[in-house]
Amino acid sequence: MLVNTETIKTRRKTKKKGPALSHEGKWGLLMVTPYLLHFIIFILFTLLASLYFSFSSYDMLNPPEWVGLENYNKLIQDPVFWQSLKNTIYFTVLFVPTQTILALILAVALNQSLKGLKLFRIAHFIPVISSWTVVLYVADAIFNPRFGLANDLLVKIGLQPQQWLNDEQQVIPVLVAVAVWKGVGYMMVIYLAGLQNVPEDLYESAEIEGAGVLKKFRHVTIPLISGTTFLVLVLSTITTFQAFEQVYVMTGNGGDIASAGGPDNASMVLMLYLFQQGFSFLKMGYASAIAWVLFLILFVITMIQVKLQKKWVHYEK
Amino acid sequence: MKHVSRLFILMTGMIVLVLAGCSGTSENQEEAGSDSGSEGDTETITLGYYSSGSADEKMKDIISQFEEEHPDITIETQNSPYQQFFQKLDTQIAGGNAPDIWLSDGVFVQKYAERGAAKDLTEWVQNDLQTDQYYGLEFNQGPEGKYWAVPQGIQIGALFYNKDMFDKAGVEYPDDSWTWEDLKEAGEQLTIDMNGNTAENAEFSADNINQYGLTFFNITEGWMPVLKSYGGGVLDEDLQTADIDTPENLKALEYITDGMERGIFTDPSDLQAFQSPMSPFPSETAAMRIGIYARTLAANETGVNYDVTVLPKGPDGERFSPVIANSWIINEDTSDAKAEAAWEWIEYWVSEDDVQRQWAELGEAVPVKKSVANSDMFLNSGDKPENKQAFLDSFEFADTLDVNAVWSEWVNEMTDNLNKTFLGEVEEKEALESADKDVQQVLDDFYED
Repeated sequence: MLVNTETIKTRRKTKKKGPALSHEGKWGLLMVTPYLLHFIIFILFTLLASLYFSFSSYDMLNPPEWVGLENYNKLIQDPVFWQSLKNTIYFTVLFVPTQTILALILAVALNQSLKGLKLFRIAHFIPVISSWTVVLYVADAIFNPRFGLANDLLVKIGLQPQQWLNDEQQVIPVLVAVAVWKGVGYMMVIYLAGLQNVPEDLYESAEIEGAGVLKKFRHVTIPLISGTTFLVLVLSTITTFQAFEQVYVMTGNGGDIASAGGPDNASMVLMLYLFQQGFSFLKMGYASAIAWVLFLILFVITMIQVKLQKKWVHYEK
Repeated sequence: MKHVSRLFILMTGMIVLVLAGCSGTSENQEEAGSDSGSEGDTETITLGYYSSGSADEKMKDIISQFEEEHPDITIETQNSPYQQFFQKLDTQIAGGNAPDIWLSDGVFVQKYAERGAAKDLTEWVQNDLQTDQYYGLEFNQGPEGKYWAVPQGIQIGALFYNKDMFDKAGVEYPDDSWTWEDLKEAGEQLTIDMNGNTAENAEFSADNINQYGLTFFNITEGWMPVLKSYGGGVLDEDLQTADIDTPENLKALEYITDGMERGIFTDPSDLQAFQSPMSPFPSETAAMRIGIYARTLAANETGVNYDVTVLPKGPDGERFSPVIANSWIINEDTSDAKAEAAWEWIEYWVSEDDVQRQWAELGEAVPVKKSVANSDMFLNSGDKPENKQAFLDSFEFADTLDVNAVWSEWVNEMTDNLNKTFLGEVEEKEALESADKDVQQVLDDFYED
């Protein structure tokens, strides 16, 4: 201990004495150079390029031409853009709370010391590591309007069979249900880690005070894992705003990007629309404008979440 | 201390070298490109194509045969599956490192041509090829008559029918006398619901169908052939004006929606129940389909007992067969020497009988060279369908799908609008009016600049 503090002190001294870029400073700079280069070339440059494209007409095959705010003007008047924004928000509003609550319930249930618990945890995690193409086949076995299990079940209990992904009202709820099924295992694992960090003695003292299971959950567990909940909420929101693969695979008839997002744009989400405009129709400038609007929306939502967290997230110490 | 400084210099040097390496390759390539025009050198060209499985192997085979016969040309290939190929290609063109020659889907030729990415091949085509010996050259000409590409293989539409289903229903096989109305009448007897009733039967339920009369999908193998044989279509001859809201199209559309309502034709939501919209015919859930030549592959694979005939006539006797000429395009930015080498490859591909035969054996496309397409080798290969002649006969009334630079985009608008009326959400007239407006918007966005 003593040696350590001494070395730190001497280091501090040398740092104060040295010129603007000391020997150590040079080394430090050199060590971060690979990262800085990566950042400048692959992140900063591409970001600025996409910002520039968003103010230009760019078909990829010819150099971009500056058009000022034209793309943004068009965006404001584009009904499909507004619909995809609305769909994205609808998706998020359904998805985020459902997944968060289910993940918490599962994590609490699987945080007991029971036999065969690992098996259950694994079972819930398997969808997370499956690719969307595989999930598509599982989902199709359930929601296929002709051969699916869901309609079999409805008919058995005397209800009308449904169109599911072909129905403008049902398509997003069905997509959300499948997304929750696929994503809940991951959030459950994050919650499990959070739950295991809750000190046992707090539960014991709550018990001594006479708290029951529900009260312990309400007044001990929930406040102590609020940091985890915050993380889960932010992560889920970002993933839904960036949802692409699922909608593309599940609504694109036979992998056809032009038909994805149907029926009649009822499941068109922002990322899908961006991809379609940029890569199928070669309107890279317009697609870049969508990307920047998407970024702004996400930024604002995340800022709101950060501000609000002060009111309900409890950090230890 | 000295020790450390040396290491510092060494590491800085390495980073510089790595960065230099990144940019070095393209310079080298350009040098090679500029001085290799001289005699005796070998020219290396890059060739991009989309493919899968056996087609990929065959392409590589043919390339090595070409290299053997042309020792002064080396071909480096870049290939990927269809979707990825075109995404990558567009990015490569943007970055200025696209292949010297690539295989383009016929419907994308104008996209590259009108945006200045494809080399004008008119002179070469006129000097080196006897144009009347080949199918499909005219399908790659823009409105101004220039040749932008040379066909690699032809896809042309015909009517596929399941012989077993026709026999079972006691319906006569279709032939060239059929009109679209005849097709629907036969379709009535070939559409069967869950309880075994046909569409003629009063108890028939259009909601639970086990077998469709005709499977119908999207543009090429769906509405375009019907619209065109009814005298309608989508674009004017200049390919920059929408001509959708017409009485001919209305009549054609009413014909289609009536068939869908009665369950004889598949509607877009029926198709969702299948693994792919292409499945109903090969999986024997539909008695007929409008199909391009490549659809014979899937039908042969599942062993359907089928044959083909020309597509039906419209009410005034007009006929239309959709054609897509998948074609070789030479990069506009490639050097003259490389472009010439690429042209050698194109010439080799279309004019060598042996190459044409090898490619035809795959069964993917109708051969480009007429003499090979009309030979026994293609017509009587022993594989189904028996009446391959129908594909060749269809050239007489074949045309493209109103292909222009923004084809994918206007097809998307058109499909969105038509699907609404196919699903019974809007009236036919309303769908046409709205499609006219939306498609014109797409055209104006591109052509008015």
